[in-house]
Amino acid sequence: MYMYYEAQWSLYVLTVITVVIFLIGVYANVYLMLKGKARSLTYKFNPGAMLKALIVNVIFQRKLLEQSSLRWFMHISIFWGFMGLLAHTTLLAYFAHFASPDSPAAKFFFTPGSGGRLFLDFWGDFWGMFILVGCSIAIYRRYVSKTQQLDTILADTLAVWLLFSITATGFFCEAVRFVHVPPSPEYAYSFLGYPLSKLLLAFIPPNSLKALKYTEQVRTHLILGIFLILYIPFSKMWHIFVSPIEVLLDESEEHARRVAYEQ
Amino acid sequence: MVKIDNLSPRQIMELDVCTRCGECSVWCPVYDQDKRETVNPRGRARQFKQIIKSQYGLFRPGTVWGKMLKRKPVTEEEIRTFTNDLYECSTCRQCYVACPVQIDTVELWESMRRSMVDSGYGPLEQQKALAISVKSYDNPWQQPRSSRARWTKLALKDRKVAKEPKDITKTKADVLYYVGCTASYDVNVKEVAISDAHILERVNIDYGILGPKEKCCGSVLLRMGDHEYERIAQENIKMFNDLGIKTLISSCAGCFKTIKQDYARVGTLNFEVKHMAEFLLDLIQEERLQFKKELKMKVTYHDPCHLGRHSGVYDAPREILKAIPGIELVEMDRSRENSRCCGAGGGLKAGFPDIQNQMAQKRVQEAEAVGASVIVSACPFCYQGLQIGIQALNSPLKMMDITEIVTMALDKAEEGQ
Repeated sequence: MYMYYEAQWSLYVLTVITVVIFLIGVYANVYLMLKGKARSLTYKFNPGAMLKALIVNVIFQRKLLEQSSLRWFMHISIFWGFMGLLAHTTLLAYFAHFASPDSPAAKFFFTPGSGGRLFLDFWGDFWGMFILVGCSIAIYRRYVSKTQQLDTILADTLAVWLLFSITATGFFCEAVRFVHVPPSPEYAYSFLGYPLSKLLLAFIPPNSLKALKYTEQVRTHLILGIFLILYIPFSKMWHIFVSPIEVLLDESEEHARRVAYEQ
Repeated sequence: MVKIDNLSPRQIMELDVCTRCGECSVWCPVYDQDKRETVNPRGRARQFKQIIKSQYGLFRPGTVWGKMLKRKPVTEEEIRTFTNDLYECSTCRQCYVACPVQIDTVELWESMRRSMVDSGYGPLEQQKALAISVKSYDNPWQQPRSSRARWTKLALKDRKVAKEPKDITKTKADVLYYVGCTASYDVNVKEVAISDAHILERVNIDYGILGPKEKCCGSVLLRMGDHEYERIAQENIKMFNDLGIKTLISSCAGCFKTIKQDYARVGTLNFEVKHMAEFLLDLIQEERLQFKKELKMKVTYHDPCHLGRHSGVYDAPREILKAIPGIELVEMDRSRENSRCCGAGGGLKAGFPDIQNQMAQKRVQEAEAVGASVIVSACPFCYQGLQIGIQALNSPLKMMDITEIVTMALDKAEEGQ
């Protein structure tokens, strides 16, 4: 049992299929990579330079910030939002499948009204908000301001729309859940989902809204999420894995090159 | 089939590293000319990925997966078009500077070019003369070896030097002045070699030249993807090492970068390599080179790609200019790591002279915009390239090498003594 959703067997089957396809995609990428036979590095690894690059150029993406604060904010919102929600989902999956329900940690996170649960409610909305903001900026740049440096092709937009849709449906699910329960001050921790439920109630007749089944909404959200995972190794989203590797390797090489130059 | 075994796994991975953000297209001086997506670094990486995926990918056409996914093979024409676009690049490294995910772009382009050469697609027809000339005459300008040191006669005749530079193969010296092909042969650029010799003699540097025995450093072959470069590099390394020199200096940014950085991957050098600008700055700091009289000039400095972005030498030439009294140094809108390439390198001038001409014109216009009367550089190749832009625009700007400016300042000082 997740926090608010009982997973069905069909979801597990879908997850297994997704993981298999994801791994095939990863294998296809590595397979192609290994067709290259030349040496990848001229110099030895420099762990110090790599660690610095990890902090400065991967986690804080300084180079992007130097180029454009708007692009930096857009990308860092998506990056951190994605990481935050990935951590959120991983934690939930761990406690739902591997941890004992009686363990103190499970109780801390899963008992209704507990500090851990309220923290997770806040955490989910917080990072989800960043993804929505980041994706909205990306969509604005592609379709409204039509930034000249962008070359919009389907593979680019699909990734943005997928992330946006997953997050938006996540908030919608949360709002639908609140529609079905009596108000409580604890819901303030869901600082976007709860106001959204009020907004829905203001514009949609309560009966129509209550006819929306929470589990069905969650299913749509999960299927989109599964498609995203499946899509990663076959699309530009693969850069989530390989771009940080390149940044670290390049920093190590550049550092060694500079040292060699000074000698 | 396009051979890709000379690429590294990392380089193939780099094709996926590109996030298609387009920052490279903002800065690429070649893309700036014709705005074709296929010549900008982002487009080039995507095209190459498509070609190699269709030939080596797990789901390539002809495999069970490929048939299921109805994959189509790339055509010969697509590969040839890609090759053409691949060579429409001056390897200036601006894309590396711009790339937020730090793709080592120029190494990647050069490896791709090697792939194209290995597969029989590269270099382009119009570039082949350069490669053949290097292999036949040891220089890309189709000039006889015997006339390589002819500039020394001119220097003597013009009384720029008191005596001919010594032949370092016969008389040992601490410093080898490696002249490079362009300064040796191009009549319009010979002043660079003459100025270098003039300065070295004036400061009593124990130096020599290789004269007719000097061979091309092989840079042009390396940039175009020709494996013959390795043979040239090995021969040069052996020749240089056998001289027993302490320092090799060159005024050519391309030769300097090749010998200092690229030769190090082919063999070990037993001497230090310096660009003339670095060497001169050392002399200024040691107070062996002093300028006392004013040289009234408003100059702007053009960073050669191989000296700046490739080697990180931005300050030495500027420090030299600042050390000369009277010189007003103004920076162009794009300078240092964002300096706009003149288009002379990477085989671009031979392959796409019109594009190079346009690139040089843009750079000259940038120099005009800051009100400079002289555009100074530290590379005979840039000298040659920018001169094309100056002529095309009929610009009043004067092109000068930094060593010419130093020579002028020294002569002026002498006049005043």
